[in-house]
Amino acid sequence: MTDLTLEGVSKLYEETAALREVDLSVADGEFFTLVGPSGCGKTTTLRTIAGFEEPTSGSVRFDGEEMTGVPPEDRDVGVVFQNYALFPHMTVAENVGYGLRFRDPPAGTSRKERVSELLELVDLAGMGERQPSQLSGGQQQRVSLARALAPEPSLLLLDEPMSALDARLRETLRRQVKRIQSELEITTVYVTHDQAEALAISDRVAVMHAGNVEQVGTPKEIYRRPATRFVAEFVGDNNVFEGEVLERSGDEIRVRISSSEFVLPDSSGVGDAGTGLESGDRLTFCIRPEALTPTAETNRFPVTVETSEFLGESVRVHGRWNDTPIVLRLEEPPATEELTVGFAPNGAHVVEFDVDFDAEFE
Amino acid sequence: MTTGPLGSGSPRGRGRGYDWLERHALQLTALLTAAVLGVMLYLPVGVVFAEALFLDGRLSLAHFREVLTDPFYFGVLASVFADPLAVGSHYASLVDWILAGFPSFRMGLFGFTAYQAALSTVASLALGLPAAYILANYEFRGRRTIRSLTILPFVLPGIMVAVGFYAMFGQAGTLNTILGVVGLGPFRFIERNPLAIVIVAHAFYNAPLIARITVAAWESVDVRALETARSLGASPRRAFADVVVPQLLPAITTGALLTFIFTFMTFPIVLALGGLQLATVEVWVYARIQRLDFAEAATLAILETIVSLALTYAYLRYESAQAGMSRAATPPPRERLFPDLRTVLEPRRLAIVGYGVVALVVFVGPMASMVIGSVTDGSGFTLRHYEFLVQRQAEGATYQTLPWPAIRNSLLFGVATLFVAMPMGVVISVLTTRSGRGRDQSGRWATVIDTLAMLPLAVSGIVFGIGLLRGLVFGIPLVGGWRLQVTGVVAIVAAHAVAAYPFVTRNVSPLLADLDPSLVESARSLGASRYRALLDVELPLVASGIVAGAAFAFAISIGEFSSTVILASGGDTYTMPVAVERYLGRRNGPAIAMGTVLLVITGLSFVVVDRVGGRFERD
Repeated sequence: MTDLTLEGVSKLYEETAALREVDLSVADGEFFTLVGPSGCGKTTTLRTIAGFEEPTSGSVRFDGEEMTGVPPEDRDVGVVFQNYALFPHMTVAENVGYGLRFRDPPAGTSRKERVSELLELVDLAGMGERQPSQLSGGQQQRVSLARALAPEPSLLLLDEPMSALDARLRETLRRQVKRIQSELEITTVYVTHDQAEALAISDRVAVMHAGNVEQVGTPKEIYRRPATRFVAEFVGDNNVFEGEVLERSGDEIRVRISSSEFVLPDSSGVGDAGTGLESGDRLTFCIRPEALTPTAETNRFPVTVETSEFLGESVRVHGRWNDTPIVLRLEEPPATEELTVGFAPNGAHVVEFDVDFDAEFE
Repeated sequence: MTTGPLGSGSPRGRGRGYDWLERHALQLTALLTAAVLGVMLYLPVGVVFAEALFLDGRLSLAHFREVLTDPFYFGVLASVFADPLAVGSHYASLVDWILAGFPSFRMGLFGFTAYQAALSTVASLALGLPAAYILANYEFRGRRTIRSLTILPFVLPGIMVAVGFYAMFGQAGTLNTILGVVGLGPFRFIERNPLAIVIVAHAFYNAPLIARITVAAWESVDVRALETARSLGASPRRAFADVVVPQLLPAITTGALLTFIFTFMTFPIVLALGGLQLATVEVWVYARIQRLDFAEAATLAILETIVSLALTYAYLRYESAQAGMSRAATPPPRERLFPDLRTVLEPRRLAIVGYGVVALVVFVGPMASMVIGSVTDGSGFTLRHYEFLVQRQAEGATYQTLPWPAIRNSLLFGVATLFVAMPMGVVISVLTTRSGRGRDQSGRWATVIDTLAMLPLAVSGIVFGIGLLRGLVFGIPLVGGWRLQVTGVVAIVAAHAVAAYPFVTRNVSPLLADLDPSLVESARSLGASRYRALLDVELPLVASGIVAGAAFAFAISIGEFSSTVILASGGDTYTMPVAVERYLGRRNGPAIAMGTVLLVITGLSFVVVDRVGGRFERD
């Protein structure tokens, strides 16, 4: 049983920082996902855990045991790469059995039994004698997963394992990975750039941006209560507004954007740090497309429709209000080029605010 | 060690010592390689430097001043070196020279060496570029064979090529025989115009190199880029100039630079075909050594090395600047060379036929003449040249050069070279390619290692030979009365290995660099040490490069002449090329027969290169 801790992990390449003081902790048996745009440091984090890269500073611990300086072959981790990385000169069975050359199979099983056990686990029973090149992409990725799991690693690390596969196959395989993970109860770190995949598969998610961890939380928390503007915009569709606080009274904040006024609940993410928030301060909040409806009675404003995409179960409408891009989810394509939408105060979530010190001292 | 979720993942039990050895095998091989390079490459080169820089035990530039100001070596430049600050008078004499209409002037030894290298480069371009054009644009039977044959000169010993040129252009050579049929000659081609023959021999070596590099660039032109240019309104000629030429130029420049470097350092060809009256720096250095004038030889060798190092550096810089050029998906289609008989008379195709005849004389002629010459004399078929070799073997005195020891030594040294050069070359490949370093390390160290390791390409065999002779063979005194001395077979094999391993590296590195680094990472996360990952994953996947590298290493050893001739002088460790050189001049027949034996053996290693080269498909 293994938990994983990263403490103050930084990684510098020449002058540029790939990771800045990253703190993470992954509980035993947890399915933990690192998500972010390319170059955010998620893969570097995974490679640091695997031991392919040493952190410039900071500490990586498995079950409290320091791993810095331990070579990859002694870390007892299983790694699955985006491009499968199957050994092309070995059969499927030889690939799966490779790790068993260095570690004994579980007591009572022979190496051969362990290999067919694993092939069964990934639904490839009887494929052992094939060459990797004879398999489809999805099958190759399952062989790669079986190979990583065969020596019973304490940690499973998956680096964008689905990126090379087509959309439908990706969903099937992701369910299969999730099933195997919960069956084995193996601590898993999963790297992806696909936020939808991250939300769908994980126990908890860390959103990374420019070498920093922006937010760690359950998929629900990440989606509903993004901690920063970046998370709000990266995870799912979102509408982001910037305005000026007009008045704070009771449990409401009134905000002005150009000439319109909006009412937000005071509890929507301002938290303790926001106690100093006063009129004149800047404030950023977001509203998910599904909370922005033509039927809402409060906080209404007009939207000029630019394009609409038919998605099947709904229609995604892109438009504009003044200079702010707006995205809506409607059931039917809009009939007019102009429509008025609104949102309930509790549909908004404040992500950033800027207490204006100058105003306070004036 | 942490435990897995399903039980214990314990490492397999093995002896501690073995485990340690395996974990450090890569570092140990690297250390050994560094030690061999240090003792067998850098030390000898250092000895040559010391020889040139010290006079009576004191640091002195006297040797350099002497050589640099001697018009024999530097011609008109000698006066510039003698008084470098008198810019005014040098400038005036330059103006005088221009005003006088560029009269001929004294070039000196270095000037002449550069001059013949420049002429050889022009000749190689003139012979190589048409071949590249034909190979890249026309389809005909044997095209692929000819394309792969362009690698052959790399493995042909220079001394053997010289013998081939004797067999072709000599007084009793094939060309004179053919001309005699129509009542011309015999002409004394080699004696009358040795420079021209030397330049043609250099073209024999380097034109295929230029053709090879250029064809590769030509085939990597993406036909879609040409089609795009055409669709945007460019004429075929314009599209060629705008799309194809910019992609060919780097290749042609690379080929020309390499040719200049190789021919600047030329030795056996000039020694055998030109003799001392046509001496290049390298030949003169050899002559100084034979007269035991080591200081002057070392000084000349150092000056030569400075020039060739500067050129090699320019080449490496240029090559790295060109790296990362696009590799094509679809090369342009090739035309049939001779769709039917009538087309032969088109001017363009007539020119190709004409080129073919010239190519036949230059490239096929010498080798074929050598083989034919070995079984004929003036009156027809004969085996007496071979009989001479057999008889010499049976009756020759021990001080004479015997054929069998030469063959035996060559094969023995070749095999021994393989065993030394392979691990050296592979370990340097691993250390300098990305898959070996890991993704996170900066490339700076790799570049340093790469440059240091490629030094043998820039240091001529002669320089190396003097260094070995003066340093390791004579012995270097160490503290406590010990002497560092490496002699005989060990010295020769080490010299061959140092000359050969860059070819192993050059064959293995590109394949290794192409491997997906996550293959090694996968193996390591599964419990393999770095060395095991190399053994289990990387080496099997770059097997073709390793075999090709081995064949090259073997062929380089078999053909190595420059340092062997120095190290084997006076002993019985001579090899086939050395034997050929010793026979040559006294009896051409046996030399030609011996050269044929050499051709057969190098030809065999070429077959191995060709069989495995680029055949192995990874996916």
